[in-house]
Amino acid sequence: MKNILLELKDISYVKEKNLILNKINFKINSGDKIALLGKSGSGKTTLISILNGTIKPTKGEVKYFNKRYKELDVNQKQKITTIWQDLRLIEGLSAEQNVNCGLLGKRSFYFAFKNLLNIASFKRAHKYMQSCKIPQSIYSKEINKLSGGEKQRVAIARSLIQESEILLADEPFNNLDPKLITLIKKLLLTHENKNNIQTPSTGLVSLHRLDLLDGFNRVLGIKDGEIFFNLERIKLKKSHLDEIY
Amino acid sequence: MRKLKLNHTSISFLPIIVCIPLAYQILINFHFGGFELFQEFIISAFNPEINNEIIITVFKRLNQTLVIALFSWLISIIFGVIFGILSSNIFYKIFNIPVFFYNIIKFFLTIIRSIHEIIWGLVLMQIYGINFSIGIIAICIPYIAVNSKVFAEQLETIEDKSFDAINQIHGPKFSSFLTLIWNRIVNTFKNFGLYRLECAIRSTVMLGLFGIGGLGTSILLSFQTLNFRELWTYLWSLAILIILSREIIKKIKFNNLNKNLSILLTAVFFTTILFTFSYFLYFIFNSSSVDFYSINSLFKSSSDLVFLDFLKLIIDTIILSLLSTAIAISLPPFVIGIFNNNTSRIPIRFLAFLLRLIPPPVLILTLLTFNNPSLSLAALTLGLHNAGITSKLLFTNLDSQDKRNYIAMKSLGASKNTSWLLGLFSQQAKSYLAYCAYRSDIIIRETAIVGVIGSVGLGSQLQESLSSFAWQEVITVLIAYSIIAIVGELINGKIKTSLT
Ligand SMILES: Nc1ncnc2c1ncn2[C@@H]1O[C@H](COP(=O)(O)OP(=O)(O)O)[C@@H](O)[C@H]1O
Ligand SMILES: [Mg+2]
Repeated sequence: MKNILLELKDISYVKEKNLILNKINFKINSGDKIALLGKSGSGKTTLISILNGTIKPTKGEVKYFNKRYKELDVNQKQKITTIWQDLRLIEGLSAEQNVNCGLLGKRSFYFAFKNLLNIASFKRAHKYMQSCKIPQSIYSKEINKLSGGEKQRVAIARSLIQESEILLADEPFNNLDPKLITLIKKLLLTHENKNNIQTPSTGLVSLHRLDLLDGFNRVLGIKDGEIFFNLERIKLKKSHLDEIY
Repeated sequence: MRKLKLNHTSISFLPIIVCIPLAYQILINFHFGGFELFQEFIISAFNPEINNEIIITVFKRLNQTLVIALFSWLISIIFGVIFGILSSNIFYKIFNIPVFFYNIIKFFLTIIRSIHEIIWGLVLMQIYGINFSIGIIAICIPYIAVNSKVFAEQLETIEDKSFDAINQIHGPKFSSFLTLIWNRIVNTFKNFGLYRLECAIRSTVMLGLFGIGGLGTSILLSFQTLNFRELWTYLWSLAILIILSREIIKKIKFNNLNKNLSILLTAVFFTTILFTFSYFLYFIFNSSSVDFYSINSLFKSSSDLVFLDFLKLIIDTIILSLLSTAIAISLPPFVIGIFNNNTSRIPIRFLAFLLRLIPPPVLILTLLTFNNPSLSLAALTLGLHNAGITSKLLFTNLDSQDKRNYIAMKSLGASKNTSWLLGLFSQQAKSYLAYCAYRSDIIIRETAIVGVIGSVGLGSQLQESLSSFAWQEVITVLIAYSIIAIVGELINGKIKTSLT
């Protein structure tokens, strides 16, 4: 039997009287690489926010490692990391300081303080930044002075440095050029533990582009807040895609 | 007949009407006796006394002023940050503390803020005697509350999204919290905190006029001996000090990614906290006897205040703030609009600079040379001083404004003044009024200064009650001040939100 990490049971979410998610059911098993497809406005971001516990569903139940969110201890909560669609980096801090923020969960307050004073160690951050192909010249640049693609990679590095088990990535390939997309996708999807770099074993990635589906084992199609299909990637047909786009 | 339509431009000009009753009362109270003195005062401005002796004194006095100002600035910024954090909702959100405490701290800070540093100074001096550290404490009390309000306002702008993102990393709560607020604190310090040094210098000088020492005390002494040339030496050196401090602050390239600077600032931060706390403890334990005495006398003293008289004082104070605000709002656009050419701009700017430079108590004392004390005179003083401040803002904004409308109107044949009014000022009017609403908060508190010197409203009562150790009366006056300031702030807040 497969190990179920996350499970959504009859999830509905209502915001300002609009039904944004409607009776969503699905499971994420250990080792899954799920592509979440759907038009803009279909509810992908909302679904990801429910999965990482930042918003509570109006109806239904979310199980994390077979527990409810409240019952999780900090270690279990740290097993989930998110790359946000709007990045949510901290302004006024440098790229490397932002990546170091990903270490807050594993380190003490003293580290956080040193990081803000810019006197913390950046060795680990640099490793992850390097693997995200962030050029060395911008490590210490302030985040507002970076280009969209550079910021995107900083956000990815901040998420990976958390060394979580489950990665929730919301359109992580925005602003990246084709070569980088291939590279970053490989980084996000292959569970590796080399060069002191550890990538998540399980992932759910929302995206738009259908040419990027190889490497995923399952595909989830969402439209108007409802799941239209949830199948193995090899079983995906053109008719499925026509349904949601 | 067409109705007069009120828009932001006309609202900016309308309050100038108050000048009519004001001028009337001032004319009645006019006496020529001291007019020569006034003339001498003006002439001395261009002929300050300069010799070795006075330069040495100036340096000594500047030194004292600077020490008080620097310490009160530093302490009030640091504790402003701390109380700002304690009165920002993000703190309560992260640590899950009941909002009850948030409300209590906010309330406490609002009360403290509502009373001007001069009043704190007068009260503390009466209890503990004139003392170097009383100056610092008197400035720090309201400054901490004002600073904490500004810091808290900035912390409230942290988005829920950033909060969620950092929270999602599930680090220690203090780590997440500090990471979230760090940049806001640093930026507020850069944009607002550094500028507060200038305010602290001005407040120190003002307290000096009431005896705390430094430049202000020298200014007062030279005024009392009618030595105007000496007076102006001190005033000009104050100007130099303020301009210098402003330039130095502009020069500081404050980069929060600079390691050494960060370490230095942190060291200063903690040393100041430690120092302040130990001093605070020392202060409490050493003056416990005085404390006890004054609390005792609070209950023993009886109040001679008759309710109706008291009501009149309150109304006087409110009228005083309204009149001063009216002058501060409409005088600058009026004068700048009428004398709208390049040659008259320079003297107007210079005059505005002088009005800002001369502390209101000195201003009112000079006006008192040829006028009997009256509410109008106090209002004029406070209004002129603040008009100096609002006009500076107006000039800066007008300078940076797009001139195309103005040029277009002039080329269409409109007169210079009309084009200025409709082409330039009308676009400024809204933001100018919003700033004036903010300024009005300060004016209300400053009524205390001219009140004490010019014997108007609650200020005069405060002076009287303090000198007769009638503590109950003092408390009553303080509460009245506080209520007026808080109500005023609420009204101004409503006006501001409707303007922005
Ligand atoms: N804060 C919000 N308030 C109200 N409606 C929202 C909010 N956020 C998203 N929505 C609505 O929810 C729906 C799904 O949004 P979202 O989850 O962001 O979709 P996607 O990520 O697939 O583009 C959209 O119709 C959007 O308008
Ligand atoms: Mg989205």
